[in-house]
Order: sequence, then C-alpha cells, then structure tokens
Amino acid sequence: MTPDREPSLGAIVRMNLGAVLARARVRVVASWRETSWVVGETVFPFLTMAAFVLVYRGLHAPPMYEAFVVLGGAMIAYWNNVLWSMASQFFWEKEQGQLQLYLITPVSRMSILFGMALGGMAMTTSRAVAIIAGGTLLFHVPIPLDRALPAFGLFLLTLAAVYALGMILSSLFLLWGREAWHTATLFQEPIYLVSGFYFPVRELGAVAGSLAALLPITLGLDGIRQILYGEAAHGFVPLRYIPPIQVVLLALFLYLAHRSLATMERLGKEEGRLTLRGA
Amino acid sequence: MKRTLEVMRAASWLGWQVEANWADPFLFVVYSIAKPLSTTLILFFMVRVVARGAATAESFLYLFIGNTFFLYVTEVLIGISWAVFRDREDFETLKYIYTAPLRLLPYLLGRAFTKVVTATIGVSVALLFGKLVLGLPIGGDAGSWVRLAAAVSLGLVSVAWLGIALAGASIIVARHSMNLNEGLAGAFYLLCGAVFPLEVLPRWVLPFSLALPFTYWLELIRRTLTGRPYAVPLRGQSDAALWGILAVSTVGLAMASMTWFAWCERKARTDGLIDWKTNY
Repeated sequence: MTPDREPSLGAIVRMNLGAVLARARVRVVASWRETSWVVGETVFPFLTMAAFVLVYRGLHAPPMYEAFVVLGGAMIAYWNNVLWSMASQFFWEKEQGQLQLYLITPVSRMSILFGMALGGMAMTTSRAVAIIAGGTLLFHVPIPLDRALPAFGLFLLTLAAVYALGMILSSLFLLWGREAWHTATLFQEPIYLVSGFYFPVRELGAVAGSLAALLPITLGLDGIRQILYGEAAHGFVPLRYIPPIQVVLLALFLYLAHRSLATMERLGKEEGRLTLRGA
Repeated sequence: MKRTLEVMRAASWLGWQVEANWADPFLFVVYSIAKPLSTTLILFFMVRVVARGAATAESFLYLFIGNTFFLYVTEVLIGISWAVFRDREDFETLKYIYTAPLRLLPYLLGRAFTKVVTATIGVSVALLFGKLVLGLPIGGDAGSWVRLAAAVSLGLVSVAWLGIALAGASIIVARHSMNLNEGLAGAFYLLCGAVFPLEVLPRWVLPFSLALPFTYWLELIRRTLTGRPYAVPLRGQSDAALWGILAVSTVGLAMASMTWFAWCERKARTDGLIDWKTNY
C-alpha cells in the first residue's frame, strides 16, 4: 500500500481485522500474565458472591435462590469488565498517554473496541467459570445442565449486546477526566440492584423492572434463569420475547456506538480533551 | 503532637479535595449514597423475595445494620491504599512528603479520616432511609446512641490501623496489585458475617471469622441498636466481653500495623520505590 493511493476494501478489512486481533490478544495475554489479577478477579469476587449465597442460606430460602446469586455473580464479572475495561478504557489510555496512538492509526475505533470486547469476554469467561464452578462445588447450587445449551445461546447474545453498550459508554468516557472514574463506580452497585443480579428482577415491580429491562444484562439474566428454572425463576419478560429484543438492542447499540464515537472524537478534538496526564 | 494533628488536618483537607471537587455538592452526595442505598435495597429485595419462608423483618434489620456499617471497612481499607497508589503514580506527589517537614504515617491517617467522613455520609443516609422509608425500628434512648458512637469510634480506629497496614503493603507493591486490597475487603465482608448470621458459615471458616475484630464490632453495633444478640457463636459473650475483645484487638492491631508500616516504608526507601511508576 502506498500513501498516494486509496487502500482497497480488502486491505481495509484486513487492517481492521488485524487491529481486532491485536487488541484482543493484549487482553488475553495480560489476563494470565499478572498472577495478582488472576487471584484478584477470581477468588475475591467469589468471596463477595459467597456472602450473598449465605444471605439466602441464612434466610432458609430454597437452594434455587442461591443458584440465582451464582448466575448473577458470573454476570457481574462481565458487567465489571464492560465498565472498567471497555467503558473506562479510553480514559485509562488517555491518562497513560496512549489514546493519541489509537487516533494516529487509520483503523476504525470500532475495531479497537471490538478487539477489546473479544479479549475482555475471553478474559472474563475464565473468571465467570471459576465463580460458577466454585458455587456448584462448594455450595452445591442446582444448575440443570440439560438446559445449558439454550441458556448458553442466550448468554452469547446477551454478551454481544452488553459489550455493544460498553462501546457507547466508552465514547462517553472519552471526554471525561476524573469523573469517568466516579461514574464507573456509580454504575456498579446501582446496576447490581436494578439488574437483579441477586434476586429476580420481577421483585422491582412493573415500572422499575421495565426500565431495568432496557439493559441487556438484566434481560439476559432474566431469560437465562427462566430457561434453567422455568416458572420458579419468577421471570419478568416472557422468554420468547427476550432473544428478539436482545437482537434489536444489539443492532441499536452498535449503531449508537458508531455515531457516538465519531461525535465524541470530534468534540474531543475541538475542545482539546483527548490528551491528559495526571487526571 | 500538635504538629502531627496539623499534618492530619492538612492531609484530610487534601483528601477531601481529591474526593469531592470533581463534582458539585449535590452530585457528590448522590455519588456517596448510591452504593449504601443500592446494597441496602438489594438485601431488602432478597429478603422480600423469600418473605413467604422464614425471612422476617427482624432478619432484614440485622442484615441492614451489618451491611450499612461495613461501608466504613470498605471505604477506609480501599481508600487509604488508593491514596498511596494515586499519590505515587498518578499525581507523583508521594515523594514530596519526604521533602516536607512531615511523616507519612500521620499524612495517611489524615487521608483515612477523609474516607471516614465520606463513609459517614453514606452510613447516615442509609440509616435514615432504613428508619424513615423502610420503617425499621432503629435507635433507642440517648444512652444507646452514645454507646453506638463509642462502639463505632473504637471500630473505626481498628479499621484505620488495618488500612495503614494495607497502605504499607501498597507502598512496596505495584499498582496492579490493588485488586488484592479490594478483594481483602470482600473477604472481610464474607468472614465477619456482615450480611448473614455467622452460624451459616462452614464450620472450618468460623475460627477465621472469630479472629477478626470486625466480627465483634458488628455484633456490638447490632446489640446496641436492637438490644438483642444476633450471631449464635457470640451469644455466650456479654456486651462487656465484646467491648474488651474489640479494645484489646484494636491495640494489638495498631501495634502490629505500626511495626509493619515502618518496615514497609523503610524497604520502599531502601529499594527506591517511593517514586515507583508501574502504571505505564
């Protein structure tokens, strides 16, 4: 490819695929290289999840509720990954002086974020598996494996929509300084509440539950519990509607992420907010 | 002593600016109360969803109290460690402590005080929410509030010294080890029975729980606010015994933390870690 000639479509696709793979590889390699991360992201979230399992045990609730917590704990791992390693990532990159390197390259920002998402999913899956395996082995929570395949299908669809939402958040965080950090923190426990990570979201009531269901992770978890536990899951949205809604949310979020990234990058350049040190 | 207090006051003010000046006061208050209110409501809905079983309003009251006051542990433990990492690597100001006529320990205690203040905002709002919105029977006569203030203060001394121990560790480890400190707060949340009765812990875990001062601290607070014991393994302990255990463990923790912190600080200076940058 020479500078005075427009690259072909094939070259553009190859370049962007390369960016996706390169960014994903960094995530995967880094997730296993630092031992303290492996311990910190598997053992310790498991301990917090265990505390909530023991809440139900202390209340003499049916064991199925403990399984709700274990599934919720696994989904929390993904949500935290979206928050801290997708949404806030451009903020970290800006703090470390690397954001401009992304902007110099001719690849799409979406490709970089897509790579982050793929790598993040791979990295977090090992943590989520540890949480589910630990919950099953230590607390003997009932997880019916005969319905695991359709649940896994919905789980994949949910992850796609959740990480697409992460891309939108990433564009918003692009312009922020220290408030990015606090905003990410604000999206933790309040989202744990409205997403029903530890209890069926139907308990929130029709209005709050409907608003919460706009988050794909709420909807996905509700559906996965319904697949695994049927009526006993106290489902909120009828299961047959959940996959098509997730597909619509995925398409909508990808479109919004693309528009939002372009807008925020332009604003950032105009206002000189894309470089920052010691926020 | 006067100089130490001055350093603590200045560090607290600096900590307050770092914590709060990124937002207007209203937004900051919303931020401060979001976490405690959310976890309170999570527990509320968890109890409600099984309310047809054995769960009662009293069950929730005990969970509520433990969860609310545990906020101090999370905020202070994580807050002091983060102050070290942020000062060392982001603001690159930790080294300047040594060019000023002050010592690191009172500086960090001052930063811990800021976290106590921000946690107090969250705890106070959560208590008001519990009493006024959820209708929980919290409180009692003036004497019980005085005892509560004394118990909370003693526990906070313990929390602050444990925070100093973690800050010592933070000086000599890389920034990305931060999640170990965060995880430790999660481990304490589980081990001290903040949101469940201790008797549901596996039998082999109970000795670890009973070795933590926070276990006795939360039991003391629960007894002060409700007038009744909660954890079955501690039913044999009188209130006076709980006070004694908490006081003795706090003194022991303070001495151990001071020794550990002094060693860590010496090692950091010897190995050139005071201006270490691991966030590249």
